[in-house]
Amino acid sequence: MLNYLIRRLAIGALTLLLITFVIYGLIRKMPGTPLTVDMAEMDPSKQISPERAKQLAAIYGLDKPWPQAYLHWIGNVARGDLGRSYSRKQPVLKIISERIGPTLLLSIPSLMISYLLSIPLGLYCSARDGKSDERVISTILYMLYSFPAFVAALFLQLLFAVHLRWLPLFGMMSDHYETLGTWGKTCDIFWHALLPVTVFTYGGLAYDARFIRANMQEVLRQDYIRTARAKGLGPVGVIWKHAFRNTLIPLVTLIGLTLPGLLSGSVIVEQIFTWPGMGRQFFESITERDYPTVMGLTLMFSVLTLAAQLLADMLYAVVDPRIRLED
Amino acid sequence: MNITTPVPVVLPKSPGFWKESWQRFRRRRLAMLAFWFVIFLAVVAILSPAIVGTKPLICRYQGKLYFPCLGYFSPRWEAAFSGSPFFKRYPLVLKETDPNSWAIWPLNYNDPSRPVAADEWPDRPANPQSSPPSRQNWFGTDSRGFDVFAQMVHGTRTALLVGVVSMGIASAIGITFGAIAGYYGGWIDIVLSRTIEVVMCVPTLILILALMAVIDTPTTWHMMAVIGATGWTGIARLVRGEFLKLKAMDYVSAARVLGASSPRIIFRYLLPNSLAPVLVPITFGIAAAILIETSLSYIGFGAPPPNSSWGKLLQLGQTNYQNWWLILFPGLGIFLTVLSYNLIGEGLQEATDPRLREGGGGH
Repeated sequence: MLNYLIRRLAIGALTLLLITFVIYGLIRKMPGTPLTVDMAEMDPSKQISPERAKQLAAIYGLDKPWPQAYLHWIGNVARGDLGRSYSRKQPVLKIISERIGPTLLLSIPSLMISYLLSIPLGLYCSARDGKSDERVISTILYMLYSFPAFVAALFLQLLFAVHLRWLPLFGMMSDHYETLGTWGKTCDIFWHALLPVTVFTYGGLAYDARFIRANMQEVLRQDYIRTARAKGLGPVGVIWKHAFRNTLIPLVTLIGLTLPGLLSGSVIVEQIFTWPGMGRQFFESITERDYPTVMGLTLMFSVLTLAAQLLADMLYAVVDPRIRLED
Repeated sequence: MNITTPVPVVLPKSPGFWKESWQRFRRRRLAMLAFWFVIFLAVVAILSPAIVGTKPLICRYQGKLYFPCLGYFSPRWEAAFSGSPFFKRYPLVLKETDPNSWAIWPLNYNDPSRPVAADEWPDRPANPQSSPPSRQNWFGTDSRGFDVFAQMVHGTRTALLVGVVSMGIASAIGITFGAIAGYYGGWIDIVLSRTIEVVMCVPTLILILALMAVIDTPTTWHMMAVIGATGWTGIARLVRGEFLKLKAMDYVSAARVLGASSPRIIFRYLLPNSLAPVLVPITFGIAAAILIETSLSYIGFGAPPPNSSWGKLLQLGQTNYQNWWLILFPGLGIFLTVLSYNLIGEGLQEATDPRLREGGGGH
């Protein structure tokens, strides 16, 4: 087990180096630098002189070729320094930590709701396999699963915010947020989060329910299920005690793999709801050519993805003693 | 001794794998419905200039036949009319410059990349701006006066093309990598598997945004290449797995003993047998590619005009929510297309998976 862990960590570190190297090269090759993008937005009178631009480029390390700049960046990262954002004049770590909260505010409730609903739904569907109500639910789940999140976001906005005017269109807080009491503030954020959480939830919910049902179908064909039925066990006992427990292994893996999504947010959905989360920050940083922030976020996403894969494999071995990790 | 001549026993030819799969696929009503919907979209995409446009399908001008509607596929094909006196405005100029000319027009006179001006067509008023659906503009117009129906119809071409071409690229890369890794194994497999893992770990959107930004003037073709270059990893892993499994089978050993070369084993014995499971992720991949294209166009990283895209319509809709027709129609278009490809993928999966066959697993 320890050998396996060490080998996986070494491979993971190598993969991280490769990913960050490729992304660093790519973003440095994008047209425009943080300085020119910034200048284009400022009015002409405030434009910096060529000498000053050169000076700034030297400070930011933009005058060096990118492989050299990459070495500099990775050296700093190894010492725990993610650098400072060019456009926001703040440490990258601070920017990321400010954006984590709003993203978690959407992703944690959505993950919990989707599992709370998908497990009973999936079990219900597998218990009533082939009946008419099961077909209706399955068809609806399939439609939801195929409904693109950004289209759903726009449709929901159109219906609930523009047409019915029940919910706010976008943002995380109202303009008068500061004047509200603690309870008012909570309610305000709750109303604003309702639509984004819905958009984040329904797809995962449909996917998980279908996933559970597919695994249940596989398990329900096994001989031990027939044995359990033959000895007179009721449908609840068969489904819950015998079948569902044996579908937990793939489910645990699935949960493991969704963990990075908790923090990464979604670029497009956060953009639609102008929600100040990680995905939106990433998009803004790319358009501002803010290299340190883009790299910091990329590093974080990649570490999380790799960690989740490792975690899923380890959980697999923990849940199912037949699996050995030595390979 | 009486020798009976042996009567040859004629066995009915058993249906092949693909025929049997097709029969099973046909039994799924929703999958067939989705299949016909995709065929319908393909017909709309091919005939888009004939359904809605401002260029004649066929016209006779100064004794010669022209097909200006092909200009929607490539501007080169209407080069004869791009200069004076036409400037790509046909109806009146045709009559004025050549009274004997005739032309066959599209079903609906509207253009996906410009508003129709007043009196361009006899007795037809100019396109109003931000107008709801009407008899003149079936799906309404956007804030620039461009017809939404025209943009939807011509956007079908973009959507379908992006799906098919980018997944074509992705499957070419994926099948090649997967086949080589699975067949040769050893250090080749280790190197290729690592590569696949690295590409898998790079967040797709980061890679696509970065690649799109590197290109100075991105076109739809660039986008297809980028989507294809990032979407092959799943296919590669699947093909690798199939090859690992198949190459240990007896018939492959038999082929090797008979002296078949590696390319022959790969292309004749392994690839056809690993194709069925790969078709499923390819179909789902087409849906995913269409989604990526529309969302990229939606956030403004899409191909520049005059390429129409459903995603771009949504972007226009988000700047003014009162124009619901800018969100509803393209949104439904994207949803139905993605749903259809997913249904087809699901149908294929159940039709080709031997474990799900009747009598196979049995329940």
